[in-house]
Formats: sequence, structure tokens, C-alpha cells
Amino acid sequence: MLKEFLFDVCSNHFISGFEYIKGDTLIKYFQPYTDSFEKDKLGSYIFKKSGINDKKIMLAAHIDEIGLMITRILDGGFLSFTTVGGFNPATLVGQEVTIHGREKVYGVIGIKPPHVTSEEERKKNHKIKDLFIDTGYSKEELEKLVKIGDIISLNRDPLSLQGSLISAKAFDDRACVAVMLETAKELNKISHKSNVYFTATAQEETGTRGAKTSSYKINPDIGIVLDVGFGKTPDMPSDSPELGKGPILAYGGRLNPKLTRKFAQVCKKYNYPIQHEAMPAKTGTDTEALQVSREGIPCILLSIPLRYMHTSVETIDLHDVEITGKAIARFINELDNSDLEEILCF
Amino acid sequence: MFLKELTELAGVSGCEYEVRNYIKDILTRMGCDYYVDKLGNIIAHNKGRKQKTIMVAAHMDEVGLIVSGIDSDGFIKFEAVGGIDPRVLNSKAVFVGEKKIPGIIGSKAIHLMTSDEKGKALPLGKMYIDIGTSSKAETEKLVSIGDYVSFNSKYVEFGDNLIKAKALDDRIGCSIILDLLSMKLDADFYGVFTVMEEVGLRGAETAAYRLEPDLGLVLEGTVCADMPEVDEEDKSTLIGKGAALSLMDNTTVYDIDLVRSIAKIAEDNNINYQYRRSSAGGNDAGAIHKTKSGAKTAAISVPCRYIHSPVCVASKKDIHSVLELTKSVIIENQKGEDHV
Amino acid sequence: MFNSELMKRLSDCFGPSGREKMIRELIMDEIKDFADEITIDPLGNLIARKKGKGKKILFSAHMDQIGLMVTHVDEKGFLRFANVGGLNAKELQGLRMVFADGHEGVICCEELKENEKLTTSKLFLDVASCDKEFIKENFRLGDMCVFKSDYYETDDCVICKAADDRVGCYILIEALKNHPSTDNDVYYVFSVQEEVGCRGAKTAGYSIDPDLAVAVDVTATGDSPDGIKMDVKLGGGAAIKLKDNSLITHPHVKDLLTDLAEKNKIRYQYEILEFGGTDAGPIHTSREGVPSGVISIPTRNLHTSGEIFNKNDVEECIKLLIATAGE
Repeated sequence: MLKEFLFDVCSNHFISGFEYIKGDTLIKYFQPYTDSFEKDKLGSYIFKKSGINDKKIMLAAHIDEIGLMITRILDGGFLSFTTVGGFNPATLVGQEVTIHGREKVYGVIGIKPPHVTSEEERKKNHKIKDLFIDTGYSKEELEKLVKIGDIISLNRDPLSLQGSLISAKAFDDRACVAVMLETAKELNKISHKSNVYFTATAQEETGTRGAKTSSYKINPDIGIVLDVGFGKTPDMPSDSPELGKGPILAYGGRLNPKLTRKFAQVCKKYNYPIQHEAMPAKTGTDTEALQVSREGIPCILLSIPLRYMHTSVETIDLHDVEITGKAIARFINELDNSDLEEILCF
Repeated sequence: MFLKELTELAGVSGCEYEVRNYIKDILTRMGCDYYVDKLGNIIAHNKGRKQKTIMVAAHMDEVGLIVSGIDSDGFIKFEAVGGIDPRVLNSKAVFVGEKKIPGIIGSKAIHLMTSDEKGKALPLGKMYIDIGTSSKAETEKLVSIGDYVSFNSKYVEFGDNLIKAKALDDRIGCSIILDLLSMKLDADFYGVFTVMEEVGLRGAETAAYRLEPDLGLVLEGTVCADMPEVDEEDKSTLIGKGAALSLMDNTTVYDIDLVRSIAKIAEDNNINYQYRRSSAGGNDAGAIHKTKSGAKTAAISVPCRYIHSPVCVASKKDIHSVLELTKSVIIENQKGEDHV
Repeated sequence: MFNSELMKRLSDCFGPSGREKMIRELIMDEIKDFADEITIDPLGNLIARKKGKGKKILFSAHMDQIGLMVTHVDEKGFLRFANVGGLNAKELQGLRMVFADGHEGVICCEELKENEKLTTSKLFLDVASCDKEFIKENFRLGDMCVFKSDYYETDDCVICKAADDRVGCYILIEALKNHPSTDNDVYYVFSVQEEVGCRGAKTAGYSIDPDLAVAVDVTATGDSPDGIKMDVKLGGGAAIKLKDNSLITHPHVKDLLTDLAEKNKIRYQYEILEFGGTDAGPIHTSREGVPSGVISIPTRNLHTSGEIFNKNDVEECIKLLIATAGE
């Protein structure tokens, strides 16, 4: 179920600023487990699961992904492009793409062959401006199909690797949208009193913009921010968080210390594995916007370990998604049965 | 056209069996005589009117990777097989070994790089294949050192008569030879599917030794750099402008009379052709023309953008031009009384 | 008809970020007979309203310009300064600067040692006086100065300083004077402190809480020799922004502006700026979010004393803004 959801949403595109296009895919999965649905004005999707008291808990995971945008149409049917969100140009070389013009146009991002590439060039990483999309059309033909400003998404079929590992584009941060789905499902089984808002935020990759507007709209009592973190690969220190060992709980100034500790306790009580990470200041997540929304929102931040961030082969362990979703449901249940004011009081 | 099937098979140099089995199967169904030599080349014979021995060659192998090690966490280290710019490998999907275990090529996330690292091309040693295992033992159950790795890239048709696939160099040539054999021309030639071109023209050498051709025709996918911001003189070939005739490369100075005669045949038959305006690279002609007492050899190629990457691009028009031109050259050379 | 006289006054008027009093008064005087209501908010934004019961629309152009602030006056009477807004030290040397009260100076550079980098800290302002009393009385820390440069125009183009964003102010003023009859509740905001981080727009966006926002500002062009690579050119018409670092234009706003341009036969071009931002940045993330876009005036030599724009482009921008007000 979670895998089906992830493969489905990751086969679709939600480029920052254009999240509205594929909304149906998302609504289809969330509607059975939630009571109402609305959007903020930037295009964040807000699914509400109603409770019986007036407390509001906001879960935030961003639905948007990084993408490309056409800047120029060149002779020979090539396109120049800019990025929407941060890309490593190195990961775009040899990448297949879809241009969302008047109709969908296929393209590839090629590389100059060695005989016209100097030794000097070969040692360097590409810059975005050195890369072109080859559409195979003549310029005249192409101009009928696409315009400047059209968005471009990467092509990559989701892959099942060994065990419960899966790989696709945009697991940053749809892995966490799947966490919310799991929490919503789980809350059908265990009771909750608070109103829970599952928010698939827009435009995180271009500056946590959707989290800013959606949290203003919801005005929650607490925020649970979900994003991806760096899972251990051979080029990282040996004590880095690993895939398959549970969510990474963050500690630092952006997060509410007592709420964070409470989450750790709940996980211990119910035997959910978690990993830990210090984030002294900036987190690079929706927490940046949530924490300072209106009068302020106490937040916790959970990250799903992920390898190869911002490439078309982001890799996660489904197991992490599942236990994080379940742990959050338990956490909400425990919060409902404790004195929230007491917890939030400094 | 056998190109879709051919390009989606794995056949990294030294491990061409999938391609070989496929081609053998097609040849059997065609009722074409063939045998496989000691290195694994397939030599097929189209019997017909004969003035001379003609060898039409294309290589079955493709560039790829080979497993060189497995680290303690189960990540796979690799080396390149054939000439690959390491910059095309970042974040690509691959198949590992005979069981075709799906994997992806990983590297350090850009967020974790220093600004110095960001500016530099990532060398092979800083990339690894991730198949989703979490320990050395787990990986070793599925993968061994020496396993070949091929790109996971589907055949796609797009734009104006273009195709994208991996291994267009040189499944294009293989596909054209199969097309030629299926025509049952009344003109004698050997269709040779060679192995290990990408690692030193190994197969062509032994095949030519056996056949002793009078005329060698090498069908290739060749470099094409007709991209924005490349100077006109550096483009080498232009996509869609016809069969590319080689004049000189790193392995061969082509017999100019032969090349001009092929150009004339193209003109007489209204087939689009162009000269390959680069002397870089090399192909099986380098081995064939020097075998025994030597053989006049020409290379007729399909321009191929982004060659040696998972996303090679070629034009169906050019493939057609190469097919038509090769056919005409064979027929022209076997005209007259049958000597055999 | 292009009102050269007004454009010249707007360009010549003193008003670096945080010191917008003079330019605000000039604009206020210009528009007071055309607005239903004029307010000045705590940061100094000038907000002119055309009342209506319909959709709330915010138009914004910033009044401030880039400049320098005096940070130190040495014993000999030379002035050190800091940038107010984005200025490049390399382009400053030799420029004439003018203060609010009309005093002038010229930017000079210390003798650089070999391989020494030119930074703002190597520059100083020589105010052409050996009279210490005069300097003490007239140049205080915190005083600001701006480029001194004369307004000049040809049949089709204008060279002036502070076209960024006085030409935007010009467009708002002309649109306000020709405000269409409509139910819409339209706010013409002449914002402050854009050049130091779009600060005025942030508070104006919050207090107005509009349904739609359109900023009017200058943008770069790709039509000068070996310049940056972008498709926008002088004389190509109003530029409809699709993206910059502060905003991805809301798809519906892009469609709205495009349709209005097509319907009213207004020449337009699409613009993607790979750097920079405008007032639309903070406005679109205000409160629950505001669908926002930008109408840009293609301008060469941005942030220099000789910015160049095309008068026809300006006319097209005015038409598009008026059409938007009536939508």
C-alpha cells in the first residue's frame, strides 16, 4: 500500500510552484482516511482528520520536488533551462526528461563527446548553463510545442531494490507524505482527540513558502515537520544515521525541547527505533517557516534517512516510513492524554 | 529493425552472450548459415553472386562497468569497461550481473560537498553501486567481483525520427547487418558480429584472420557533436544528414579510392551521406585492414549523439541511409560473372 | 504619450532605501487628486486606494533607489561609506554622488597594493572641500547619497538613474490616473526599502491582505553584446515574469496576464530571471498566501547611473496594468 502510493506519486510530478497539476493523485489516497480537504493559496494540500477537542496538530511534509524550467529555445531543437530548486548539475548529465508544454515532449540532456572536450573541462563539474536538452525537433517544430517558462520534470521509473529499499526521484519529500498517510491510517485504529492536519506543503524547495502560508492558515498548537535526512553512504562518517533504523529525531533551537523528548519517550515505550541528530540552527526544512508562524508554533522535526539527495535515484527504506507513521500516531494519542500546556510550558 | 530488442540487452565487452544468443536465434529463424568462433564472434554467410570476399562487421559489445569490490556496508565499487566519461554515471540506474540485480549509482549528496568538491568532476572512485543491501555478506549472496554492469535505459522514439537508447554503438550496426541478411540479396557477403571492440578491437582481428576478406565494411555508431556552442568544425557529424564515411581515425587511414567510390555509389543511388570530420576514435576497421596481407576497409556510420552514455541518440533516417548504402556497395562490388 | 517631464522628476528625486521622504512627497503630490484614499504605513509605504466592493488587488512599485551611507568622516574630511542595496565596488570608482541637500562628492580609490582586491572599504568619497567646519556641519554619519546623473532621452529610449524602480512608480501613477471603472478594490502601493530586502512590501502585503498582487519592477535583458543569456529584450513589450529567486509566478496569474495581453493586443514577452527578486516575493507568502505576479520593464545596465529602458515597453506595461486593475 505505502509502496503503491509512493510509486504512484513519484511517477507524477509536483514541481515547486506547479503542485496543483497532479493534485488528484494525492487526494485519491488521503480522502479515505481524512474528513475534509482544502488548499492554501500557494497550493499546499491540507487534509483534516477531525477530533473532539479544539487542539490542532499540524503534520507538514512537502509535496514539491525540484525541477527545471525552459529559458531559451535554440537552433536544432535544443533547450536552455534554469533550475527550480537546487540541483547538482552533475546528476543531470545523461538524464531523460519530460517537458510539460502544449503536449508532453521527451528530451535528453547530453554531454559533449570526448574529442571536443578538453582535459581541463573533463576535470570540471558541469554548470547548468553548459547543459542542453535535446528534443530531436527542429526549432520551428519545437516552438509549436513548448514555450519559455514551461516546466520540465526528470524521468525515472521507481525501482525496487533488495529487501525493503526503494529508489525514485522525489522521495524528498514524498517519503514523508507517505509517513503522513500511514499516520492517518493508524489513527483510524487508535483514538485521537485533537484535530490532525496532514499538510502536503508547496514550494519547500524554493524557500519553505508553502509551509509559511499553510501554517498561517491552520494556526496549529503544535507542528510535526517531516523531511528527509542524509542516510549513511561510504563517503560519510561511520556514525551517520542509517537506512532501516528508524526516523532521525532532531535536537536544536528550531525545535521544542520538551516535545522532542516526549516523542523519544513514546518511541521507547512502544519499541519504535529512532536515531538522533543535532541541528543547532538552520534545518533547511519547513520548520524554518512553521516555528515563527503567527505567534510561534512548537515543533518537532523527524527525518527519514535517505541516500543520494536531490538526484533521480533517491533511496529509502520503506520500513522507516512505516514505523515513523505508526510512531507519530502513538505520539498524537499520548499527547491527547497528557496535559499539552504542561508540556509546552517552559 | 531489431534495434529495440538489441539495445535493451546487456552486452558489456567480454560478456556479450545475451546479444549473441538473441542474434543466433534470429539467424536460425531466418535460415541463415552461421557459426560462432573461438572468441565468441558470430560469422553469418549470405550466399550469392560473388566477385570477392566481403566482410561486413559490427560489434555486439557495449561500454559498461565491472564490479571491482564490495565494501563492508555492501556498497559495490566498480571500474569502467571501455571509454566512459565518469560524468555520465552520476545517479543512473543499472543492472548488475547475470541475474540483472537492479541498482543505482550513488555518490555524496551535493549538500555534503565542500565548494571545492562541487566544482570538480566526480572520479569513478567516488561513486558506488547501491542495490539496497546493508552488509557485505548480503551483497555477496547476489553479486561477485567481476560481474558486469550495464545501464538500465529503455529504447525511446522521440522528436523528428530520433531514437534514444543505450548501446546504440554498435547495436545499430548489428541491427543493420541483420536487416541485410534478411533481404537474401543475390550478392555474397559475410555478416560478422564481433566481440570486445570497446576494449581493443579483439574480436574483429580473429574474425578477419579466418575470413581473409578482400573488402571490409565496418558499420558503426559514430561520434556526433552537433550541439549548441560547439564550433562547426568540431561537430564531426550531423544527425539526420546521412551515412557518415570515415576518412581517418586513430586506428585507420581509410583507402581514399574506396571511400570515394562509396560516396559515388551514394550519389548514384540518391542516398544521403556525409564525411566524418574528425580523426578521433577508432573501430574494428583498425584490426580488419591490417590482418594477414591486409584488406581495403571502409567504415560507414550512423551519427550518434552522447555516445558511450546511457542516453545515446541517433536518427532513423541515418540508419536507413547506412542500410541502403551498405546494400548498394555490396551489390555493386559483386556485379559481373560469378567467380566461385 | 510618454510623460518625459514626470519621468525626469521621478528619476532626479532623492530617495535611497530608508530615506524615501522626498520621493514619497513628490508622488503623493502627483496622485492626490486621483485616489479615493491615501495612507502612509509605519514603514513609510505610500498606499493609494481606489475603492471597490470586488476583488482586492495590490499593485506595487518601490520608491527607493540604491545608494551609499556615510559610515565615517576622517580628520581630513574624507568620507567612508557602506552600500545601501546591491552595488559593486568595481563599478563605483570615479562616480559623482549627490546628497539630499545637493552637496556632491566623487568616489575615489586608495592606491591598491599588488594583487590587492578592490572592495568598498578601499573606496572613499571626496566632497571637494578643505573647510573642516563645512564638512562637519554638512556630512554626518548616516547621511546617504545617490548617483548623480542627468536624464536623457531619444525618440524611443531613456537613460537615467534609478529607473529601478522609478519607472515602475511612473507606471503605477499613469495607471492610477487612468484607473478603469471597476468593482475591484485596488491598492497602488509605492513601497519602501525594496533594495535592502523588499521590507516595505512585506508589511504592506500583510496589512492589505489582497486576493491578487502584481509588482511592477525592472528586469535585466539579454540583448547587449555578450551579455547574460536571457530572452528578454528592449522594445519587446511588457515582460511577464515567470520566475526569479523570490517567486515562481502563480500559474493562474501567468495565465491571467497573458490572456489580458492577448485580448488587449498588448505586446508582451516572458521573463525568467536567474537571480534577484521583487516585492512580489514577500507579498506572495504573506498570511495564507497571495497569488502573485510581476510586470517587468526590460532595462539595461541595472544598478548603474545609466539605466536604459524603452518608452514603448513602458506604455505596454501601463496598458497591461490598467487591464489587470479592471479584471
